[in-house]
Amino acid sequence: MYPIILLSVLGIVVLFLGFMKSKNILLPATLLFLALALGSNFIDWNQGPLLYFYGMFSVTNLTLAFNAIVLISAFLIVAMTRGFQDDEEAQPAEYYGIMLFSLVGAIMIIGYEHLIIFFVGIEILSVAMYILTGSDKRNLRSNEASLKYFLMGAFATGIMLFGIALLYGATGAFSLTGIRGFVSTAAGAQSYILYAGLLLLLIGMLFKVSAAPFHFWTPDVYDGAPSIFTTFMSTIVKTAGFAAIFRLLSHSFAGIYDFWYITLAVITVLTLFVGNVVAVYQDSFKRMMAYSSISHAGYLLIALTALTAQTERSILFYSMAYSVATISAFGVLMLIAKEKSLDGRPNESYDAFNGLAKQNPLLAFVLTVSMLSLAGIPLTAGFWGKFFVFSSAADRGLIWMLVVAVLMSAVGIYYYFRVVIASYMKEGNTGKIRVAPFYQIVLVAATVITILFGLAPGFFEQLL
Amino acid sequence: MNTTYLPSDFLPIVVQLGLALAFIVGTMIVTHLIGPSRKSSLKDDPFECGIEVKGNARTPISVKYFLVAILFVLFDVEVIFMYPWAVNFRQLGMLGFIEMLLFMALLLAGFYYIIRKGVLKWEE
Amino acid sequence: MNPTLSIFYFLSFLTVLSALMVVFSRSPIHSVLYLILTFFCLTGHYILLNAQFLAAVNIIVYAGAIMVLFLFVIMFLNMKKEDEEAKTNLTKIAAMIVAGTLFVILFGAYRKSIIGAYNPYEYNSQVGMVESLGAVLFRDYLLPFELASVLFLIAMTGAVMLGRREVGERHF
Repeated sequence: MYPIILLSVLGIVVLFLGFMKSKNILLPATLLFLALALGSNFIDWNQGPLLYFYGMFSVTNLTLAFNAIVLISAFLIVAMTRGFQDDEEAQPAEYYGIMLFSLVGAIMIIGYEHLIIFFVGIEILSVAMYILTGSDKRNLRSNEASLKYFLMGAFATGIMLFGIALLYGATGAFSLTGIRGFVSTAAGAQSYILYAGLLLLLIGMLFKVSAAPFHFWTPDVYDGAPSIFTTFMSTIVKTAGFAAIFRLLSHSFAGIYDFWYITLAVITVLTLFVGNVVAVYQDSFKRMMAYSSISHAGYLLIALTALTAQTERSILFYSMAYSVATISAFGVLMLIAKEKSLDGRPNESYDAFNGLAKQNPLLAFVLTVSMLSLAGIPLTAGFWGKFFVFSSAADRGLIWMLVVAVLMSAVGIYYYFRVVIASYMKEGNTGKIRVAPFYQIVLVAATVITILFGLAPGFFEQLL
Repeated sequence: MNTTYLPSDFLPIVVQLGLALAFIVGTMIVTHLIGPSRKSSLKDDPFECGIEVKGNARTPISVKYFLVAILFVLFDVEVIFMYPWAVNFRQLGMLGFIEMLLFMALLLAGFYYIIRKGVLKWEE
Repeated sequence: MNPTLSIFYFLSFLTVLSALMVVFSRSPIHSVLYLILTFFCLTGHYILLNAQFLAAVNIIVYAGAIMVLFLFVIMFLNMKKEDEEAKTNLTKIAAMIVAGTLFVILFGAYRKSIIGAYNPYEYNSQVGMVESLGAVLFRDYLLPFELASVLFLIAMTGAVMLGRREVGERHF
């Protein structure tokens, strides 16, 4: 609850700090504000389930943990921006302000207790993302990506709103508790309007986390957006989105599991298949990361489809592992792409990574660890993320889905290792790449988190 | 004072609307019927008084207009929230006043931001 | 048939017809005009439901302000060339199948569910009035109301950030 209030106010403060002559204060101020928000997040820690504002917003340790992941990811991403000093046309105050505001939306959809809060939250998050996607104003691809994302996102929001309206029509309630109350009655379990509403709402939500077949915007948008905002989208929106879907399904619709699990199972398998197989054919690392984010949505969907008692923890752990690995991968990509830019445009293809191990061994190591984590190789956090997800599916007896998921992970290893091979085996030019110390700290921190949780996943359990 | 309102209260407005529509449609039909119809290239010109038409009406316009329009919509929606507040002003009491003050403060901060950014300066 | 019901059917017919015309008209300007007609019909529905405040807001915000934005967008487009949009028959057929399936599903769901009836003795006809709306909005819905201002702020910042002309950029 407290981070919402803090971030709304501090976002305005950041906007106004932009009027000062010196732009150097923006980065430390934003980092300080994020740290403050993270600190205020834990005021409610272990206070038990709390309801705020007439039962609109709920706080539990689980939502606080999701908030913490989102805020820490945002902290790392903001730290990597280096104040947008390289770009003369950048408007850092606006970027930071919108990022802080969008976190308000993310936290709202993590802890919503009422569908109105969910709707306002997802709108805040999406509108912020449409704007940040198009923030590179002179770049046609960024413009195109923004417009595409906006049109499709607006349509998805419409479908979602229609779903919410049908749910209200069927149950007479907007609150998750009210809907659960209706679902548990005999009439609720047979209400077809309720089914239709749930499906439409799920379609809208799955669009936001880019599950197939609602993923068509993802590659173009992730590719066209400036890399720093792609990182933001693929970590924070995804984590918050899955927290929201989990909340809806587990709190309100666990009673009609038999109805929605088939739909979700089909979508899961499709997402896994599309994400992993198409990623193999990409020539651009950034586009590969877009498909990889689709495939990770698939793994998270497995946990949702299973919906056991362990699901919340496996989603939490998985999104943490995925976020940290993605942030360090994009961190390396941004450096390399800028270093080897072609015709003034960043070079985001696999070739840019050739000979990275000789140019800067640290970067090559960070990249390798993040790729190993994304591929799910043991001793990284990604392995345990996949392990928890798969074991919850096994508990539910979804063996056929596990077979598909394991096969697809094997496909994943191929495209994740391509960039590792490029950086260690292939010859590139021999010039050294220098990294700013602060940037280095962020990358090392993300890598340490990945390895730490890879070695001792039980540590994470104890934190909760 | 009447305290219950029903849809049937809108009957006079519907009658008014119908009359207005009937008048417009009626005059249009009648002018078509009784007026003479002459057609020539000069008669069909947008300006009949000697100014030559240049170019196309469908040219792109400056984004300034759009910015003003979109900012107008935002503040328009903001004002909409004040109607239900104003009607219940007394019942809501001090708490309601503070709520609205907070809402306005956030938006006025945005308004200040817009002015400082110089978006509303027309000539630059 | 009582008058309310016949007005309802007439309005619904008009709404669906004008909504269809939005989709089928060739010229975008015509589409916008039909959209305005659709909004007016929806306002009629709001009045039938005795939600007078929503009816007024629908006219002021949607039919007024938002439609102006639509017209602006159309004026930004370059409409000199009459481009036939690149739609293959395959996309058309696929779109028809998807939309038709959705229609069948929704229609079937509607047919098979029992829609709750209302109790005319307990029903409060004044529930849609602006007083009751305000009483709920500023108490139960306080949090979404305040956070809506954050949404406005984002939209404002975004409009300024993306739409502002930089120094030296040409403006028509």
